[in-house]
Amino acid sequence: MRDSTVYFAVGIRQGLVVDVRILIIEDDKDVASFIVGGLQQAGYVVDCANSGKDGLFLATTESYDMLIVDRMLPEVDGLTIIRTIRASNIHVPVLILSALDEVADRVDGLKAGSDDYLVKPFAFVELQARVEALLRRPSAPSDGELTTLEVADLRMDLLRRSVSRSGQGIDLQPREFLLLEYLMRHAGQVVTRTMLLEAVWGYHFDPQTNVIDVHMSRLRGKIDKGYTRQLLHTVRGAGYRIEELGK
Amino acid sequence: MIHAPMNARLLMRTSAFRLALVYAALFVVSALVLFAILYWATIGSVGRQIDATIESEILGLAEQYERRGVTGLVDVLAERVRRSPDGGAIYLFADSNLSPLAGNLRRWPTLATDSTGQIEFDTTHNGAGVSRFRANILSVGRDYRLLVGRDLRELTELKVVFERAAVWGIAVVLILAIAGGALMSASAQRRIAIINRTARQIMDGELNERIPITGSRDEYHDLAIMINDMLSKIEILLDNVRHVGDSVAHDLKTPLTRLRNRLESLSHTELSMSSELEKCVAESDQLLATFNALLRIARIESGAYRTAFSTLNVMELVDGVCELYRATADEKRVTLSIVSKPEVLIYGDRDLLTQAFANLLDNAVKYTPYGGSISIDINELGGQIELAVSDSGGGVPAVDHLRIQQRFVRLDTARSEPGNGLGLSLVKAVVDQHKGELRTENLDPGLRMTMILPRDTGDTRSPASGL
Repeated sequence: MRDSTVYFAVGIRQGLVVDVRILIIEDDKDVASFIVGGLQQAGYVVDCANSGKDGLFLATTESYDMLIVDRMLPEVDGLTIIRTIRASNIHVPVLILSALDEVADRVDGLKAGSDDYLVKPFAFVELQARVEALLRRPSAPSDGELTTLEVADLRMDLLRRSVSRSGQGIDLQPREFLLLEYLMRHAGQVVTRTMLLEAVWGYHFDPQTNVIDVHMSRLRGKIDKGYTRQLLHTVRGAGYRIEELGK
Repeated sequence: MIHAPMNARLLMRTSAFRLALVYAALFVVSALVLFAILYWATIGSVGRQIDATIESEILGLAEQYERRGVTGLVDVLAERVRRSPDGGAIYLFADSNLSPLAGNLRRWPTLATDSTGQIEFDTTHNGAGVSRFRANILSVGRDYRLLVGRDLRELTELKVVFERAAVWGIAVVLILAIAGGALMSASAQRRIAIINRTARQIMDGELNERIPITGSRDEYHDLAIMINDMLSKIEILLDNVRHVGDSVAHDLKTPLTRLRNRLESLSHTELSMSSELEKCVAESDQLLATFNALLRIARIESGAYRTAFSTLNVMELVDGVCELYRATADEKRVTLSIVSKPEVLIYGDRDLLTQAFANLLDNAVKYTPYGGSISIDINELGGQIELAVSDSGGGVPAVDHLRIQQRFVRLDTARSEPGNGLGLSLVKAVVDQHKGELRTENLDPGLRMTMILPRDTGDTRSPASGL
């Protein structure tokens, strides 16, 4: 499958992420510089605050496309920041970083108004994939009324729960349908195995073996087999992406 | 079970009850001695008084005979009889043929025809019915005999009263001693049971549990304080060990994550090196997964997940995980079947139980050969739910059944498969947190791993603490 494997860094097209502003609120300078460096390299415009107070000030006075907030911060903690900006009607996507990975903490974070939750320490690809997913998340109501998803000649009808490629119907099992739907909603983005396990199965743990890969190869067999243009790509060291390459 | 309602058999077994029985025996013996002394001092003394009266009277009468002869004695006796109309005293003066000469006894008592000294006999006297008398007999002169006696009716009555009192008294002492012993041993047993219960909870992983201290400052109180102090000490030591382990894992994890990220960014730029670098990334991912698993087990064992317990449908949980693994099983042509599907509820943490079951299934799929079979069996037995995963793989030697639950233990036969030797340790930690049990059995061929978990009865939940 060499031809369907591409490197993540190659997949980032500068044009897409220009002028996207991200605020990072993180008191650990090492972690902050690591995230800032990585995101800047990926073409984002990044601001960084080292305390909850500064972060809250920036988040409420400046305009950002996304916030990355550490949960435990001096002065004002992460959850308070999120509650405060949500109370001020700021609907920017928020990703929480936390050293705690209990379900209760996750639930607390999401209840406070965050959109995603990442446990420290994390691989940068995981953060980047989630950042991209959140930036693309349909926020306007009109996006939420999508009834069809399309990637090249692959078409998914969300109302009739049917999938076709080049007009030819593809028979998918319910879970395969959910898997493909998630990938197509994030077309062009890297989706990690952890993201798939969370979004499609609702599990928050790492399976020991490559169960996700097996599901993906089945899905690939159904949608790509017999077509010259491969749509479902493995991104080495990161996850998967559905995309029409070389368009 | 220690805290089951106490039954009689259990009570008999306690050392306190045995001690109580010994005390009861001692009490009864003491009471017997006490009654004996009382008997001697009261009834014995009355008897001796009677003896003394008879003795002095008979000697007085003998003296009368010495002084005044037969006729004199006959006169005195007539006088005495007249003064004792109720018949409390008896007198008889007889010749050598035992024919009465004087006195208020009609004839010589048959059992005492040729004896002298003291006799006791029954006779009717003064129409008062049969009653017992005690009498002294004395030879007077050469041919005569004199008998002086007293009625023992009062003494006999006193004896009856005394005996009845003694029987009742001892019975009461016995009952009180046994009842008191039972109460004492029950109370001792209750306090020992509290200590046992706490010990059990601590063995079940609730290390912060302590024996409740009661107000009474007795030896149990001292014992409880001593045990609690010891437990605190052990907990501190354990925490230290765990903390060292956790911080090693945590502190190594962060630099490892950075290393992995640096390697990864290198592999994108230096294309010529990328293949080797990719292997390095994969190796560090493996290390990270191990650290994550280790930290997660430590977190589970610390009880941090207890707050997220809720009522779960076992079948839903099993179906979900099976669905996740079915594709992998299909790849190996391994059939995956769920044998029984009872609707049972369990009280626990969804994520933990899902992961534990996933680990069991993961192992089963890994170690079942191509074309084999895996079956999942859910059974409800009493208050417990048995969730069994049976495979048709090579099984595990019986000696290793417990060993495979330990951290980093991988059997030689498993070395070729991917894994870190922490999968079953996690299952064990999860099962322990749910007060359950993990059982390993060999099948022929294959292995059955069973999670035994308490059913959700609605009253097993403890109030959520913290957060």
